[in-house]
Amino acid sequence: MAHRKKNRNVAIVGIGQTRYSSHREDVNQPEMIQEAVRLALKDAGISIADVDCVVHGNMELFEMIHQPDLWHMLGTGAYGKNAFRITTGGTTGTTIVAAGDNLVASGLYDVAMIIGFEKLQEGHTTGGITNMADPLWFRNLMTGALTGTTASATIKEFGEERAKRAAMMMRVIMDKHAGLNPNAHRSFGLDFGQIPDLMENSPKLVGELRLIHMCSQSDGACVLILADEEKAKKISRKPVWIRDHITVHREESFNVFGDEPVEMTHHFAARHLFERNRITKPLEYFDVFEMYDPSAWWGLDWLREFFLLEGDEHLKLVENKEIMIGGKIPLNPSGGVIASNPIGATALVRVAEAALQIRGDAGAHQIPKPVKHALASGFGGTIWTVLFILEKELTGWGERK
Amino acid sequence: MSAYFGVKVEDIFATMPERFRPEGAEGISASYGYNIHGEGKWKLTVKDGKMKIGKADDLSGCATVTTTDGETFVGINLGKVDAMKAFSSGKFKVEGDFGALAKTAKMFRKYIPPQKEMSTREYILDMFATLEKRFQPKKAEGLDVTVGYDIGGEDGGKWTAVIRKGECLLKEGILGTPTVTLKVQSAADWVALMLGKIDALSLLSAGKAAITGEAPLALKLGEIFAPYVPPGEKAKEPEQELIVLRKTISVNQRFATGPVMGKFLNGLKEKKILANQCPQCKRLQLPPREVCAVCRVEATQWVEVGPKGHLAVNEIVYYASPDPLTGETRETPYGSIHVLLDGCKGNETFTHLLRPDQIFKVKETWQEEKGSRLRPVWAERRTGSIHDIKFFELDE
Repeated sequence: MAHRKKNRNVAIVGIGQTRYSSHREDVNQPEMIQEAVRLALKDAGISIADVDCVVHGNMELFEMIHQPDLWHMLGTGAYGKNAFRITTGGTTGTTIVAAGDNLVASGLYDVAMIIGFEKLQEGHTTGGITNMADPLWFRNLMTGALTGTTASATIKEFGEERAKRAAMMMRVIMDKHAGLNPNAHRSFGLDFGQIPDLMENSPKLVGELRLIHMCSQSDGACVLILADEEKAKKISRKPVWIRDHITVHREESFNVFGDEPVEMTHHFAARHLFERNRITKPLEYFDVFEMYDPSAWWGLDWLREFFLLEGDEHLKLVENKEIMIGGKIPLNPSGGVIASNPIGATALVRVAEAALQIRGDAGAHQIPKPVKHALASGFGGTIWTVLFILEKELTGWGERK
Repeated sequence: MSAYFGVKVEDIFATMPERFRPEGAEGISASYGYNIHGEGKWKLTVKDGKMKIGKADDLSGCATVTTTDGETFVGINLGKVDAMKAFSSGKFKVEGDFGALAKTAKMFRKYIPPQKEMSTREYILDMFATLEKRFQPKKAEGLDVTVGYDIGGEDGGKWTAVIRKGECLLKEGILGTPTVTLKVQSAADWVALMLGKIDALSLLSAGKAAITGEAPLALKLGEIFAPYVPPGEKAKEPEQELIVLRKTISVNQRFATGPVMGKFLNGLKEKKILANQCPQCKRLQLPPREVCAVCRVEATQWVEVGPKGHLAVNEIVYYASPDPLTGETRETPYGSIHVLLDGCKGNETFTHLLRPDQIFKVKETWQEEKGSRLRPVWAERRTGSIHDIKFFELDE
């Protein structure tokens, strides 16, 4: 894949998030977005006048509002600025950061504001997702984002008891993390003792994918402010550097040729991204991973894909609680997508939360050891991947002569 | 020590560490003295985003020393006494840099006095004691039902609400088989639910609650009974009604299939399943596509496959999702399947549905072991659509 070194270094200098919730009937869309915009500008210590361009993203099919960025200008402050609207399904949140990074790195803009939002209560999520499938054939068979194939394959590979227990362990750990995040939409207060009960009694959705495994549908917005190196060093005491990112697509539809292809996009993305950044032991290198985990089964399985693990290494990481805050590789200290899922913002929240960990500003869900290197992923569309590497320092990769 | 407005001076100081906001103390390095008549002296030290508070005899070296009485001090912290008035009247004196003291306001979250908490048992008893009063006859017109409440744990209990002829009577215990029964494992969860601190779906998802009987009735209970309001509190009335506009979008659409998909759909009319092949990588595409997206070449060769094959994957769907093209909710559970039709290999599977009564009777393919043998069941009248195949069934 063609890839060149950046023209300029780019940092995250401002982060703003609304609280994620199932119901935000107290505000309309621009009002909700404005909450996150204001927090991000305040965090960056700049005003809207300092922003050169605005990148806006969500999934139009969910609220069925076309060109939502026009209405939302009331909340985004984009009037009179260069503004772009991007939608790529679940990956939208990371695609808009990738676009913002490219816009600033190119030298065209010094400060970009990245806005991801969704108000899922205002539409029909499964209906929206189903409408992504081709109408000639597969749309008739679509079940939205729900699938039990990963559960089924994991059970076949590792045995029913071990697989189901590991997936539920993953679920409980995510719930415990969410309990520490005041922005999280859902935290049930689950405990490890409930695992056997939940494994058997949570209502089934598809196969062994149960209601408790699946992510929420949330309302909320997240905003990042990006700046080039010169500006970032001037205005921010704790800039978080965007080292690199990669986007990997599959073919155009959910299920053109049935079963999974040979190499998953997550694995392909991780392999290429690590290789070109000379990261040979990702599990040792990264201090935290904010993964787009739509269900506990996927979160479990994808650990193997992203860290290029073999055999049952990923299961062991979960079984030994190494993915908990305080473990070897904390996964989603924020609680992840299972806890909060305003889809157009969801992937952006992964980058934002990874950046907060590097800054040491995550609050109660802050990892207790220094965080220097973070990984953040987006997932969506038709099994697509966007993968980000964030760094605390420029040393060793980003120095300029 | 005396209490003012129900709060002691000590309470204000003792909660400072938990109310401290490091972001409000950025760049501040100073000590602040407080001399509260008849209560004592305290010293607050702020440095490097951290703070320390404690009793101190010596307040020298402080940037400011605040001298006041207990009532004024607590009153200002609770917002019951106007700070400017107290300052002007001399009840509240500040020595030193007044500007430095003003900054402490940003360093701490407001002190909120703890409210006397009712115990879970007290809540449960009060909630059921007020149930009949909260009954809304207008919302229960024509209803003749019983609602069982099975609240678990030491603080719980069992009750049955008998709703009949616009009246509601609450009885102890579960009477017979109620029309609907709400079972909650922990009384604390029921209290949280009634106070709006947790939603029902969360409890159901987490397996902490269950509904048996007529579930739709359970959903109506929120209307049949007015919300529970703890004693001494007033029902919350929003400043204005929050209006939500409801819209339904319904669009008639027509999708052209093009010649490639058209050939495939025409094949179905003649009970033929046609795949096309990439001339370069030789893979079969089913349903066919205009090009092989991977090799970026036109797929020109046609191959008839199946119609029988082996089951690869059987997804048993329990979630009642609507058919996106008709809006009708599907019967569940149903089997969404991938079949490897004869003539196809590897991942070249075909997606369709399984005969509903056979979804638990089939076997999936796993590694070298082939799944159940399946055959398509064709519709009598075929129009060139996915429904020309009704579903696949066991070939026995």
